[in-house]
Amino acid sequence: MRKILVVDDAKVIRMVIKQILTRHGFHVAGEAGNGREAFERYKELRPDAVTMDIIMPEVDGIQGLKEIMAFDKQAKVIMISAIDQHDALTDAIRHGAADYVVKPFEDDRMVTALKNIFGEAQS
Amino acid sequence: MDITKDDMKVVEIMSRLSIDRASRALSKILRTGAKISLSKVYTADLSETTAKMNDDLREMTGVMVSFKGNVSCKLLFMMPVTGSFILTDLFLRQPAGTTKEYNEFTESVTQELGNILASHISNALVSDFDAKLLPQPPQVHNDYAGVMFSNLVLEQGMTDDKLLLLETQFEICKTELECYLFLVPEMTSFGKLLDNIGVNV
Repeated sequence: MRKILVVDDAKVIRMVIKQILTRHGFHVAGEAGNGREAFERYKELRPDAVTMDIIMPEVDGIQGLKEIMAFDKQAKVIMISAIDQHDALTDAIRHGAADYVVKPFEDDRMVTALKNIFGEAQS
Repeated sequence: MDITKDDMKVVEIMSRLSIDRASRALSKILRTGAKISLSKVYTADLSETTAKMNDDLREMTGVMVSFKGNVSCKLLFMMPVTGSFILTDLFLRQPAGTTKEYNEFTESVTQELGNILASHISNALVSDFDAKLLPQPPQVHNDYAGVMFSNLVLEQGMTDDKLLLLETQFEICKTELECYLFLVPEMTSFGKLLDNIGVNV
């Protein structure tokens, strides 16, 4: 079962994402509330993928992404944010994000994004 | 800075487009018909408005969001505490009436709704009006309506005597929900927004 780290400063969003992922056969190995915690949890848990919010207190998701990618070039990080702006999107891609999902999202969109990065999406 | 009637029309159009976008996002996340409509755009005297609002002693739950970029702006989304229970049940797909008291879920739902509204308003201003702005992490507060409003305008209005205020109305599931969304752009950066689209102030 694929291990996922869920990063968002809103507890309810972590809860909703966890419910969706569990329903679709993923295992949520851990949660984090900002970019710094995400990096710490990543090193500890070594998840197969990370879902990462952008706007978070203290250390944002882009910084969290940078730190994770510097630590592990093979890391698979999907950004999940309500920010739908060119600069944020290009910033995320430039720093190695595997996908970018805009909130609010349909359950399928996030699940497909994860399956895509594992090469498991159905054609 | 003087704002003419024509400028005000442009502000109304900008506000309506941004709020429409936020409204669609709210409907999607609550999975129910949610409509936010712009009820009033106006300039107000800072001290008079603050004094008037200070008399409002209703207990509210609110979320305040600052924006960073070339447009300085603050957003306050607030509702009576019982209104936050309704939104929590909708957000968590629970039967109406499940949430009976303020708890960590109510706080988190309020925080996320502030994030969604602020993000989609900024998305519209960036894509349609060439602004550069990003919302900062939302701050949830429980206080009297007057105190929350004063905090909003005092921080934002420090450099101006006049405030530009946008007021909205909420309708959720065809029932009017008492929610208030205030957007307070700083006057000078508001001028930059008009410049971006070739409207001279």
